Amino acid sequence: MKMLAKLGCRLLLQRGAQLISPRAAAESPIQLLGCVRTLKKTTWFEEHLTEDNQTYLRNLMAEEYRKQTASKLNPLRDEPWPRQDWTEGSRRVGLVAVKLGMAPIWTKTGERHVVTLLQVQDCHVIKCLPKEEFDGHTAALVVGGKNVSPFHRSEEQMEVFRNAGVPPKQKLTIFKVSDNAIIKPGTPLYAAHFRPGQYVDVTAKSIGKGFQGVMKRWGFKGQPASHGQTKTHRRPGASGPGGDPAKVFKGKKMPGRMGNTYITAHGLKVWRVNTKYNVLYVHGTVPGHRNCVLKVRDTVLPTRRSTLLNPPFPTYFTEEEVDLDEDLYDDNLFVHTEPSVTLT
Amino acid sequence: MAVCTTGLGTFATSLRFCRKLQHQNERLFSTSMCRPAADSEPPKFVPPSKPVIVDKTQTVTSLRKFLSPEFVPPRQRTVPFKFFLERKDMIRRRKMLNIPEFYVGSILAVTMADPNASGKTNRFVGICIQRGGNGLGATFVLRNIINNQGVEICYEMYNPRIQKIEVLKLEKRLDDNLMYLRDALPEYSTVDPEMKPVPFSPTGEVPVNSLKVKMLPKPWSKHWERPKFNIQGISFDLCMTPNQMAGAQKRAQPWREYDMLREYDTTELKEQILKEVQEDMSK
Repeated sequence: MKMLAKLGCRLLLQRGAQLISPRAAAESPIQLLGCVRTLKKTTWFEEHLTEDNQTYLRNLMAEEYRKQTASKLNPLRDEPWPRQDWTEGSRRVGLVAVKLGMAPIWTKTGERHVVTLLQVQDCHVIKCLPKEEFDGHTAALVVGGKNVSPFHRSEEQMEVFRNAGVPPKQKLTIFKVSDNAIIKPGTPLYAAHFRPGQYVDVTAKSIGKGFQGVMKRWGFKGQPASHGQTKTHRRPGASGPGGDPAKVFKGKKMPGRMGNTYITAHGLKVWRVNTKYNVLYVHGTVPGHRNCVLKVRDTVLPTRRSTLLNPPFPTYFTEEEVDLDEDLYDDNLFVHTEPSVTLT
Repeated sequence: MAVCTTGLGTFATSLRFCRKLQHQNERLFSTSMCRPAADSEPPKFVPPSKPVIVDKTQTVTSLRKFLSPEFVPPRQRTVPFKFFLERKDMIRRRKMLNIPEFYVGSILAVTMADPNASGKTNRFVGICIQRGGNGLGATFVLRNIINNQGVEICYEMYNPRIQKIEVLKLEKRLDDNLMYLRDALPEYSTVDPEMKPVPFSPTGEVPVNSLKVKMLPKPWSKHWERPKFNIQGISFDLCMTPNQMAGAQKRAQPWREYDMLREYDTTELKEQILKEVQEDMSK
């Protein structure tokens, strides 16, 4: 497969043309423009299959996913690891969520805030890395979120998921965890792991802006629009001190690719948790575009640690707390089933 | 004419004849009908039914098939599930506060909780000039002229501080956006704050007020004569020369109506959402 890639585009395109040419006789040249094939370096699962087999495989995959998730629904029943209690300094797992969008909320005093909706879709613990394996100081848990098709994943990746007994995931993240919070691989994680009133940090890849100039990327002021400026309105200007160093220092802010990097938003309050659909309502804005996959964990900020007293530890199990309401609200949040706010 | 009178005459005489017969028959039958049988009990006294007083000034739930525009999701990359969650919250709020059916051009009165007002509530009456936003952040702008000063307030429909929304006059105008009232004569934006609600029928068509508004002299805040705004509700012949109108038409983009990528057909979506909303509201 690597050989094919090395041979270059030309051979691949020729190969592609050979594949398309038997069909070209039937299609008109105008229609051919529509079916431009993207570069595929390895054989993809549909290449040598008939259409019936393709649909059969897809249905089979969906069924397998359903069986796998169903078999993991009761983690407390199939030999879970011994659970330990929450102590002051312990760190627990986080979740992998999908950014749905934003909505306004109002407090009981009538103030308006904005929240981001994050949905926890098929979040499972994939692997446990004990202290010795990971870095010698802390244990770690690999968590995956959002199911994805197995046809475009390599065998090595699929092996990891098969060991956990879980469908392949789009995003795998590592959460550094204290020793008493390790969870057995294959346990599903739900949104009720976080409770309203606590604070979270959300990490995601920011929206990619492409190659951007210095004004947008670093916030430089640029130059005036008129008064004699010759062809210099958005340029960086000077690039350093001058003759003494006689060089430009490393890390000088210059134009370049902006965005598509991991950014963390700290100290975001959880206003509401929907346990039925696994949705978190998190204060303010969060990096990333709509439908992007994010990493959510308990805050690192020391001033907000007091809100995290007695959380579900190591995680929330559905079999334990059966009588949770469909919607958990923060105390200050105005719920729409209440009558209108009257200020006294 | 002579024919008509003779016709009428014959008709009248025949009527009188019929009536005479009727009277005779009544006199013949009246006594027999009143006494069906002497030995049975006298008929029980059934009091006449109370007249049902229908208070038409109160808000009557509309029987028209109306879906508020903020329920229709815009064309975006957002998953429909997010709109579904927002709709559930909107319906919960609508069950607590009745948000009536209204259009741009209707006259509304909104009572809102205000920490700085005496009695802590604030009532504002105005004509709705714009409806914007989607989902829980839907807004409407009310305009009125108070003490010779134009006032516009943008209210959020699902804000919990709003205590009451009354429709004083339900009507539509020729446009969806009445922002040009800012440049029109003040008499068109004045609404009496003590106005009595005008009764309207819950069924049938919403009345369309095809009023053509007279404008103040130019310059206006926007070039309302340009085809981009597509305003039907201004009487341009009173304020602009045909030359100026022709000049404005130069900025027309006639190809836009054939642009298929701009089409967003919401009929199916609307039907489905209307059904869902009506089901949830009746629960």
